[in-house]
Amino acid sequence: MNAFIQTQALKKTYQLGDQRVEALRGIELTIAQSDFVVFMGHSGSGKTTLISTIGGLTRPTEGSVSIEGTDIWRLNDRELSAFRNRKIGFMFQSFSLLPSLNVLQNVVMPVIFRKNGKREKTDAIRERALSLLAGLEMKKKIDAHPSELSGGEQRRVAIARALINEPDIILADEPTGELDIRTEREVIEIFRAINSQYRKTIIVVSHSLSWLESAKTVIIMKDGLMHLDVPDPVEALMGRACRP
Amino acid sequence: MKILRLAVLDLVRRPKKNGLLVFAIVISVALLTSLTIVSNSATSSILEVVSKTGHTLTIRPVITAGIDEADKSALQNLTISEVVFGKYIPESAVPQISRIYNKAIREGWERKGGLVSNPGIPVISIEPPTWAPRLYTKAVVDGHEAIVTGIDVNKEYFVRFWWNLSSGEWPADVDVKNVNTRIDAMYVMGAGGQVTVEKPRYRVDEEGKAVYDEKRRNSAGDSDQVARDFAYAHGAGDENKDVAYLGGAYASARGLKVGDTVTVESRRFRIGGVLEETNSADDYMVFIPLIIAQHMFHREGYISLLSVRAMCPNCPVGDAMVELNRNITGITAVSQLDVAGVQFDFFNMLYRFLLAVVIATIAVGIFSIFNIVAGSLYVRVREIGLLKAVGASRFQLFRIFLYEHLIIGAFAGIGGFVAGVGMAYVLNSLLGIGSVVRIVPSVLWYALALGILSSLFAIYYPAYRLSGIKITDTFRTQWEV
Repeated sequence: MNAFIQTQALKKTYQLGDQRVEALRGIELTIAQSDFVVFMGHSGSGKTTLISTIGGLTRPTEGSVSIEGTDIWRLNDRELSAFRNRKIGFMFQSFSLLPSLNVLQNVVMPVIFRKNGKREKTDAIRERALSLLAGLEMKKKIDAHPSELSGGEQRRVAIARALINEPDIILADEPTGELDIRTEREVIEIFRAINSQYRKTIIVVSHSLSWLESAKTVIIMKDGLMHLDVPDPVEALMGRACRP
Repeated sequence: MKILRLAVLDLVRRPKKNGLLVFAIVISVALLTSLTIVSNSATSSILEVVSKTGHTLTIRPVITAGIDEADKSALQNLTISEVVFGKYIPESAVPQISRIYNKAIREGWERKGGLVSNPGIPVISIEPPTWAPRLYTKAVVDGHEAIVTGIDVNKEYFVRFWWNLSSGEWPADVDVKNVNTRIDAMYVMGAGGQVTVEKPRYRVDEEGKAVYDEKRRNSAGDSDQVARDFAYAHGAGDENKDVAYLGGAYASARGLKVGDTVTVESRRFRIGGVLEETNSADDYMVFIPLIIAQHMFHREGYISLLSVRAMCPNCPVGDAMVELNRNITGITAVSQLDVAGVQFDFFNMLYRFLLAVVIATIAVGIFSIFNIVAGSLYVRVREIGLLKAVGASRFQLFRIFLYEHLIIGAFAGIGGFVAGVGMAYVLNSLLGIGSVVRIVPSVLWYALALGILSSLFAIYYPAYRLSGIKITDTFRTQWEV
């Protein structure tokens, strides 16, 4: 497999008072470009720590994360920020949007932190944002503020924002958490479309089994270890033994 | 959208918290601004007195317990600055006063190293002083009690060179065209023989000699001139004997203008002019010719006050004051320069005390601001985490906070200035400084700078810490281990 994202001996240990918690215990992972990976597992299994380490948000205790050949944890703060801004689009379960900004401003917000952001014309950025919002059926609400949007609408805006800088990777942590089944389905469809149409590499962390149908790769996380090629993820999540 | 706009939008979203922060800074800035304005105003007023009367000595009767019973009821000593009622100096004492004064000035100059009236060296000179007598009385003017002051307009105009008319005209015999009443000419030879020009008052002729008014030149150093001056005052200006001049505040309060008449006791005077206000007792007086006042109030041969203006810069007026007080009983000579100096020292001490109090208050205030800022920032940690996640570097986050607090500081600085000006008026009134509140433009810039610096000082540490926070820490409730 052509390694687009690769982790080597990735470990993360937290010190919680007197207790040491090994959130990641030597993760070896390779993700190809345009893959659609879903991490599933119980709370505390280490899945969020893994994608935040891949996304350059949490520094690992040991090991490395390489994206397109760049060891991201060797970059300094400014380089890593620029890398995240350029290469990765993030989506979080809650507090995804800044309440002081309207929909359009939230979508274009990552552009202001782009190193070459000044070179791109404001009109071009605005057009791209409007196009993304139109594709997500949110064009009519560009002036609305987050408090005026439903949960599903907020996720769509967050997706548009994640795409505004045309990143190669979308990292989403519980993107359908707290959503009803219908809206969850819509959001998953959007992710699938992004993966198939724009060829973006998508990495999702979720508890929801609804993602199983859409993902190309499903990885079960348990006790800081990764379980690939699980024949029956549902069984695995129900607590049956799975092969590391 | 740019980082600045992001900062502005964020500010607008939190009007109450940011308003509280602005208010806290406004108080600090206003305190310092008001103190600065009051201090500047008082200092300016004192310096103005020095510049006006720095070379002036006022001589008035000594106030003692042995006051004539008949005069006692009329006596209200020192109620208004130099104004004394009921005690007088006989005009016959003036020549002796003049002699002592001239001798002290001359000796003082020699001691300083200057040469005075040295024959054969025409550029070295000192002009004779000008003596302006006054007679203060309380009299009924148009049915109301007022301070009526007898003056010689010529002399008064010359000594009180800061007098200007807001309306009307000076008497025709006041030489306002040819005599520059401000000291602006003086040739001085120092002890080493070098000649320096200090504000030359007189024109220089083709030969480089000073040109004097002949009448005055002849009288230089002549003490008898004082007596002649009085004769002149008593006898001259017949055509002006029924002309009165009014202090600006008095005229304004009574709605009087040039051409109107006022009746002092039973005699009518035409108002020849109204003086511009000078922030002194003169503003509340009615001025009539000295000789008329002496006659009307039966004080022929007496005066209440003698002002002497030394006609040279840095004249040793203090020496003259000491000599007069030492040699003549019954009078008190006061150097306005010394009075101003005492006032200045006292005010300076008061200012330093208040400044210390204000600085302590600001220090406490800044810690309060620091707490407000820290509190308002720490509730934004998730927002900060989001901004970092989408690619904001530590420096870019810092810039957002910086812009926000520059704006807050600027608003607070301007608000503090406005509030400080208001407080300055209140302080000025409460402290009884009595000076006109002067607002120097530079105070606005200082207020602005203080507002911005306070705001930035308060934000720096919390912003530094928060911009460096780990992203996952900001999502602690959401991002699991």
